[in-house]
Amino acid sequence: MSRIEIVDGADFACAEGDTLLRAGLRAGLGLPYECNAGGCGTCKVELVEGTVDNRWPEAPGLSDRDRRKGRILACQSRPTGDCRLRLRLDPACVPDIRPERRKARLTGIADITRDIREFRFEADGPARFLPGQYAMLSLPDGTERAYSLSNIANEDGAWHFQIRRVPDGRMTGQLFDAAPADVVLDGPYGLAHLRPGTRDVVCIAGGSGLAPMVSIARGIAADPVDARRVHFFHGGRTSADLPGEGWARTLTGLGDRLAYHAAVSGESVPGLAQGFVHEVLAAWMGDRFDNYDYYCAGPPPMIQALETLLVATKGLPAGRVRFDRFF
Amino acid sequence: MSDGGVIASETLLCAQSDVPEGGAVKIELAGRPPLAIFNIKGSFFVTDDTCTHGEASLSEGEIDTDECVVECPWHSGAFELSTGKPCGAPCTIALRIHRFALHDGGIYLLD
Repeated sequence: MSRIEIVDGADFACAEGDTLLRAGLRAGLGLPYECNAGGCGTCKVELVEGTVDNRWPEAPGLSDRDRRKGRILACQSRPTGDCRLRLRLDPACVPDIRPERRKARLTGIADITRDIREFRFEADGPARFLPGQYAMLSLPDGTERAYSLSNIANEDGAWHFQIRRVPDGRMTGQLFDAAPADVVLDGPYGLAHLRPGTRDVVCIAGGSGLAPMVSIARGIAADPVDARRVHFFHGGRTSADLPGEGWARTLTGLGDRLAYHAAVSGESVPGLAQGFVHEVLAAWMGDRFDNYDYYCAGPPPMIQALETLLVATKGLPAGRVRFDRFF
Repeated sequence: MSDGGVIASETLLCAQSDVPEGGAVKIELAGRPPLAIFNIKGSFFVTDDTCTHGEASLSEGEIDTDECVVECPWHSGAFELSTGKPCGAPCTIALRIHRFALHDGGIYLLD
């Protein structure tokens, strides 16, 4: 157990093997973060005193300038003793639900598309998370990745993920070929979760971004006072990547409050819009961008294109466009 | 940067002497987002003041004069002042840079 002190701020305990970021969030502090995986760079802190074990020294979230200035990524740093950090806490990052580690058992597997599978786990106690959040999933060999939940909070302890197979991926290779019966889940994490609002919602999913967008649509359906409609834009390379409108309406429970807009970028399919999902979105939207709030999840090029379209070009404020970036 | 001429749409931002070398000032004009003016070794740069990642004020950020870069005070994301290009995570959207003119000791916005 290490004591972590924030200069001019709170202090918290960090259990052995835990990272600075997760320990701070478990203590209910608003440590800035986004991806928890070394990619986004939001959790940079200055290590003023103490030493840490760096899980990924070459993490892309840190520039050479950052390293020269003694900055570390809180998500990749395990303290090796007491530490002092300089950082600015962010009230927006105070977790609504404090993340916890728990053992979980595999209860089911189902194919969603040619390379996305749903993996269902069960843990003791209720599953508490917000629609659109993610958990860190660890296998017995220690491999750990962040995956978005595809279901919503429940009393049964059910944690569902829709995971896309990564070619030659160490994690998904194990999950798809010989899924272990017992895993560890650590969560929830993530800020791209469903917020209340009065405008209808646009969910934009590409590739492995399906799960969090399904969770957000389900969250709207499950709330009896939430009357919002959902436009679900789903981008894939071919039609085999897109399970279709019937699937989405049934799965989310939204019925005809959900409109499904498929976009295929790699082939021409009669009846499906061709192009990247941001292009299909822009063509459908015309001049109505301001009528909606947006949730986006997918690979970096898709997120980059949507940021350029929605924030830089259309000028939508950051609070109305939530990005779940995958690295 | 400046042709010294009078342009109808130019707006006085501040005196050149108001921006210390290696420093920045924030300028708020009615009807537009706040601007930041940087002085790097005697060269000026005018950009939007609000970081493209969060709501932080870049004029309060750390300025690397050798690299001509400003770092956001919130998450240490960074931008090249000459182009607005993001050059440090978590910033991914370019910062808007503005044309300006220098004359009569003042800094004038051209757009």
